[in-house]
Amino acid sequence: MRRADWPVAYQMLVPALLLEGAFVLAPLAIGFWYSLHNVRFFRMRSFVWLDNYWSIITSPLVVNSLVVTVIFSVAALVLTFAIGFGLAVWLQRDTAGHVAMRAIVLVPYMIAMLVGSMLLKWIFAQESGLTPLLLGPFGYGNVSILSDPKTAMAALVYNAMWRDSAFAMIMLLAGLKSLPVQIFQAARVDGASPFYIFRRITLPLLRIPILITLVRLFIHFINTLTFPLILTGGGPANATETVVLRMFRLGFQDNVLGQANALAVLIFAGNIILVAVLLLLFRQAKRL
Amino acid sequence: MSFVPEAPASTAWRRRVMARRLGRLAVNGAIAIIALFPILWGLSSSLKPSAQIAEYPPSLLPRAVTFEHYLRVFNDNVGHYIFNSALVSTGAVALCLIVGALGGYALARFTFRGRGVMMVMTVAIMSIPIASLLVPTFTTLSTIGLIDTRLGLILLYAAYQLPIVIWMLYGYFLSLPVEIEQAARIDGCSPYRTLRKVVLPLSRPGLVAAALFVLVFSWNDFVVAVTMTSSEQARTLPVAIYFYLGFYGREWGPLLAASIISIIPIIGVFIVLQRYFMSGLTGGGVKG
Repeated sequence: MRRADWPVAYQMLVPALLLEGAFVLAPLAIGFWYSLHNVRFFRMRSFVWLDNYWSIITSPLVVNSLVVTVIFSVAALVLTFAIGFGLAVWLQRDTAGHVAMRAIVLVPYMIAMLVGSMLLKWIFAQESGLTPLLLGPFGYGNVSILSDPKTAMAALVYNAMWRDSAFAMIMLLAGLKSLPVQIFQAARVDGASPFYIFRRITLPLLRIPILITLVRLFIHFINTLTFPLILTGGGPANATETVVLRMFRLGFQDNVLGQANALAVLIFAGNIILVAVLLLLFRQAKRL
Repeated sequence: MSFVPEAPASTAWRRRVMARRLGRLAVNGAIAIIALFPILWGLSSSLKPSAQIAEYPPSLLPRAVTFEHYLRVFNDNVGHYIFNSALVSTGAVALCLIVGALGGYALARFTFRGRGVMMVMTVAIMSIPIASLLVPTFTTLSTIGLIDTRLGLILLYAAYQLPIVIWMLYGYFLSLPVEIEQAARIDGCSPYRTLRKVVLPLSRPGLVAAALFVLVFSWNDFVVAVTMTSSEQARTLPVAIYFYLGFYGREWGPLLAASIISIIPIIGVFIVLQRYFMSGLTGGGVKG
């Protein structure tokens, strides 16, 4: 529009800048400042340089939570993405039945993470009587899923998969829809097999939606607090305590805010590095 | 009757079509069961009398439908938490739409120095994990006296969802023809008046999609609310459900009833506005 309008543009952006500055950028800066101090029960004591970072890096609990986070997010990512992709291909036609199915699949994604995790907790809990009933015939009637480290982790991954496959499906479905139909018709006329078409045409053309879906899912899984906090509470014996849950506990249970902020800064930096690496990898593997 | 040629009436062919249709029905049925079972099981359990909830073997349906758990939850003042959730969600939606429309319009229609930086910042803030902001945000809110208030939650939710709203509305505004706006400007409308009287009425689908996003996030959020509120006065519904988990211990009836109550409004909104949500979920993201 008119060139003389630029002061108006700045004016229009002021509220947005204030909101983001006060509640996103300022906390980022304050968090970093706190991470360099000894903070106990919300009182800043003394400037301690990188001591907090040192105690974070050397804490066995933090190291354990890192391992847990990697196992959980990689397993959840692979399964969620595979199922989401399967659903997208399965439900890609626009018949009434398929559209209705898409809505049904989206329901777990629409409800609160807390509520979804709680409903699954109820299913996995022994009191519900459901798991003993289902596992009894296989001789596992007395197994309590959430109190064995391995099955607790499996339950956590299942929780992620149950909720977020729909997200992967919608993202990939939108990608599939945006592809030109003619290419597929031509390939079919040329006698290409469905598998060949999928491998050689669909996958390469879907590179960008796949990349976006993978990155968003991965970041979401790494930073999720609700799944482990509600479903397993980090237990049994920290077997499902993710990094973010560890940070939450450092800050709001142990009240060592300096260390919690140090871990938050590390998580933030880790996220940035991870996204950068993923984007670079995808740029390199252009041919997929 | 019709001009469609009669299909070859071989029984083998007809049988194959039937088998295919049945197979598809079976797969869709299985998907629907996996997606919805936890919710339906929670609903069914919440309607069972206390004595029947922990019964073994569990029965799929309540023997006698009872609303005792729902009554109990309402006696425990769940109405107050629903009100808080509704207030906070609508507040965040309103704030986000006003600030987001101004920001998105400035980015879509004006050229000014720093515009590129703003665009990059919008995307960058979108990718900041909320988890890493929790601890320092708590400190920030305490400092400015907004901790444990509904206003604090409104501002936080708006700040977290604003980048997505700006991004979505920016895309929507770009897709509108600029000529009507130019005509309005020549007729003497200020940029603000043009936005309000010309652009916003034309942008209803974009506004609805953006509003849905903020609404679902704010209604469902648990992590931000549980860290930023401590008293009943500002507690939202998901946090209240979380506290039921602690208060009632293993008493699942009220817990499940409260969960089902929290699901109902969001499913209602979802059914009415589904298509906006689907388009919004992928808006801008997939074409990259």
